[in-house]
Amino acid sequence: MATETPQGLSSFPVTKLCTLLSLGIPVFASVAGVKYWFLLYTDPFISTYKQYYRLMTFQISAVNETDVILITLIWYYYRHLERLLGSRKYLSLIALTWMYTSVVVLVTAWIFNLNPFLKWNRFTTGALPIVMSLFHFYKEHTPRMYRFDVKIIKPLGSRSKQIKWSFNDQFVINALVAILMLNQGLVGVVTAFLSWMCGVFIERGLFPGSEVFRLPLFKKSAQPGPSRGVVAAGPEPSPSESGSLHAAQGENGQEVEPGDEPSDEPARPLGVQFLNTFRM
Amino acid sequence: MEIDGNTLLLVFVFLFILYSNPSGDGVTSQYEYNQLQTLKAQYEQEHMQFSNLSSNHNFRNITGLKLSYGDVLQEPKINATYPIEGKDYDHWFANQNYTLLPESVEYEIKHSVWKTGHNVYPPNVTSTLRGQVKRSHDEEFVVVPMPIPEYYKPAQDLLQNRPSFAEPYDSELGDYQGSRNITFLEGEIVVEILSADTISGLYERETRFQNTQSDRWRFLHLNIHFSDYSENEKHAIRSKAIYDIQNGRILAFSESAKFHSLFALPHYMNLKNEDEATYNQVKTLVEEYWNATDFINTRSMAYLQNSYAVASTSCEFLAFLQLDPWSDFSQEQIRTIDKELTWPLGRSANLSSLPPVNISSGLIYSPDCGVRLQMKNVTGLRYELQVRKMRNLLLLGAVLLASQIYLLLRQMQHTNTPSLVNKISYWSFSLMNLVDGVLAIIFFVMTNSFAALYQPLIVCSFACLILASVFEMRYMISVYASQVNERNVSIFTLLRRNTDGDERPTPTVIPDEASISSSLYRSYVFKMLFSMIAILSVATWPRDLRAPVECLGIFVLSSYWVPQIVRNAVKGNMPRRTETESPTGTSLPQRQSKPPLLWTFVIGTSIIRFLPVAYVYSVPPNIFYHHQDRRFVAVVAAWLFIQIALLYSQDVFGGRWFLPNYTIPDGYKYHKAISSGELLEHGSSENHTIDCAICMNDVAVYVEDIAETHKVDQQSYMVTPCGHIFHTNCLENWMSYKLQCPVCRAPLPPL
Repeated sequence: MATETPQGLSSFPVTKLCTLLSLGIPVFASVAGVKYWFLLYTDPFISTYKQYYRLMTFQISAVNETDVILITLIWYYYRHLERLLGSRKYLSLIALTWMYTSVVVLVTAWIFNLNPFLKWNRFTTGALPIVMSLFHFYKEHTPRMYRFDVKIIKPLGSRSKQIKWSFNDQFVINALVAILMLNQGLVGVVTAFLSWMCGVFIERGLFPGSEVFRLPLFKKSAQPGPSRGVVAAGPEPSPSESGSLHAAQGENGQEVEPGDEPSDEPARPLGVQFLNTFRM
Repeated sequence: MEIDGNTLLLVFVFLFILYSNPSGDGVTSQYEYNQLQTLKAQYEQEHMQFSNLSSNHNFRNITGLKLSYGDVLQEPKINATYPIEGKDYDHWFANQNYTLLPESVEYEIKHSVWKTGHNVYPPNVTSTLRGQVKRSHDEEFVVVPMPIPEYYKPAQDLLQNRPSFAEPYDSELGDYQGSRNITFLEGEIVVEILSADTISGLYERETRFQNTQSDRWRFLHLNIHFSDYSENEKHAIRSKAIYDIQNGRILAFSESAKFHSLFALPHYMNLKNEDEATYNQVKTLVEEYWNATDFINTRSMAYLQNSYAVASTSCEFLAFLQLDPWSDFSQEQIRTIDKELTWPLGRSANLSSLPPVNISSGLIYSPDCGVRLQMKNVTGLRYELQVRKMRNLLLLGAVLLASQIYLLLRQMQHTNTPSLVNKISYWSFSLMNLVDGVLAIIFFVMTNSFAALYQPLIVCSFACLILASVFEMRYMISVYASQVNERNVSIFTLLRRNTDGDERPTPTVIPDEASISSSLYRSYVFKMLFSMIAILSVATWPRDLRAPVECLGIFVLSSYWVPQIVRNAVKGNMPRRTETESPTGTSLPQRQSKPPLLWTFVIGTSIIRFLPVAYVYSVPPNIFYHHQDRRFVAVVAAWLFIQIALLYSQDVFGGRWFLPNYTIPDGYKYHKAISSGELLEHGSSENHTIDCAICMNDVAVYVEDIAETHKVDQQSYMVTPCGHIFHTNCLENWMSYKLQCPVCRAPLPPL
């Protein structure tokens, strides 16, 4: 069925990469004690220490555990976008939004700091800006499949009115995005709004590049990955091929068995091998 | 369970035992209550005296300070009592008539240990320093008697309610002096410097210590451990110390039942008679410490008993240390460095160039044992830097473990048939598994003692655990399962690859993987337990004994390829490039000549397992402070190289090249002619063929006494030891899954 999303993430290399990185980098940072690499404050870091590398790193990893989980979950929900756009275009879009949101947020903060009263010092950590601009794309391209109402009759005593909430099938991701936005305070909300505007501008072409810009060094074989259909007639694109980007990134290239002649025993992926250990 | 009267009674008895343990201060009897009250009263009274002291007044009735070195010198039999007739209590000068120090020691402290002249010193010196200690001029000094007050002693019998208050005038010095006298001339010393800004203890409330002069003075806890080089004799001092930040001096006094040293700190800090101000500042600091810890009310029975035990088993020590200045840094830089170390944010503090905390000169003197120790080259990194170093090493270790897991997975994928797995040595992997499992436990236990390194330690422990108890165990189970039909076969039979039928009963029921794995896991758990006990006990041995055992252990654990070499010889693996001439003239590569171990796995594993050994034994400032032994590292490296070279030679020349020919009997031949009698047993058909039980087609066989079958190629069929006949292709395919006869389940010799 066309509307059904394929199981697992094997046909979503970019989503897989993003979810793994948004979990893996914070864990590494925490273990190695380098969480501060991903902090960005105007006051000591930029104005005093001149650590401009932080302008690049502050979106890479969240330092707060809640943000880490939220961002990971949201990346997972965004797998439809990868299916829609194709892996290369999706990755290019992520890179583009990363650049635009960073610039927009930093420039806005700089303009805001021209006022003598209030200072915008702290910036958000984690991929909140990227996620928020992609949220616009998600909303734009994902159809609502169903909606449902929750009616609560007289929730606050006998004289209160009946409360009716309407939800649609996207209410989970809406909630996740809302929590993510609020979790970093006022700065989070402002940054989220700016990034969302960035998303709108990129989509409308006000910020150029979404149609033109493509990341180089992207393997050809990764292209036909998620959207089957035309390719299905040809030689079957094996999951290991579409996952080649992910394998090249070096998480675990276990499933890839190049050059093995087909054997009558089905290949056991790493997960199965792992589980078999406990199966007695 | 039925609840009747007895059960309830039992519950009450349990509750009674649970709740009737001693209260907060650990008092369990009337006698102990009185003991503790006496101690508190004594401290109270001593503190009163201390409050009234000035730099010009001598100590009066303070435990351990009643006598000076001069008093003992004048009258060697003097008793530590108060007041002493003719003693000058109204003045205090820094000489042997007033202090516990003999003149020579005092001179040395004043002129060569402690320096004056302000310089830049780090305010925070929390660290662990290591170096050498040397004993000097033992016999010169008279011993100042420091008797333990009677009320410290435990009750003589159950009826005794009040501790004895008699002062132990006839102090016998013998018992504690003999047992822990320092007999070595040179040894190692470890100085652990802890900041006392936060005070907490087992029975003490956690209190923030308000130090109003933290820019000038710091209150420290100093734990000093020293031993001779072979660790036969170990001494430990727990002391309270004052750190003079401006001059880089540290004064540390041990504290026990016979020496209430806290009250002596201001006087001795002012040993050089600098000014009244120094004395008063240190006195304020001691008072602040006293108040912050609520010193009297927090004394507990545990404290009392502990200080009695320490007093009766060890000497008292006064330590005078001088730090090296950090003159390359300004105060501002040091402040930034301190902040960055405690709360890293990436400030511009060049931490890698931070000098170590270094004691340029140090002297330890024991008044009641008459021992003087000199410190040499005592140095160490700041605590936070040390933690960073350890963290980086642990991360490197985690990377090594991850690559080991990756290599093992590659190896597992390489040997995906039972025939190949059968050639792997179970004991090779068992050795590796032992090391990894023990490492997992050690890392896990270490998480307890290094809270700062919890995360990297737990990551390493987890990686080890996964490697050992999941992947390696999984592999070992399949190796074991593939070799299970060789279990009760003698090694000669294996060498012959021949099953003579009557030699053993053929096990028709081979245990399944579940039972194998449960038995292997059981033995794994016991192995871990046993090796933990062994390691713990070895760790406490003195060095002379420990070092050879350690080396032997590491050597044995590095011999993990030896079982594989033996296994290769037993299985008689074919040389890599042998080609069998098939009768048709084309040469086919031997199917089973693939070496069982991947070369990347062999070399990678050897390197991964060798690196930690090399680090511990050959990098001088390694984090374990392990002694250096480059020769041993070279021996281990050579041994590993020999093993790998042997494995390689077996790969090239065949598994048995080093065995003389006569020791190698012929293996079982699957391709052979059969007799007509055997043909009849198989129910021969007209054209002398037999049904292949696998593909159900006819197999043409070469029968010796029937000439017309002699055109049949003997390579085209196989005869099993149990006498069943199959097509070569059919049986070889089957044998890549199971080494059992498909018809009668008798074990088959591998190809």
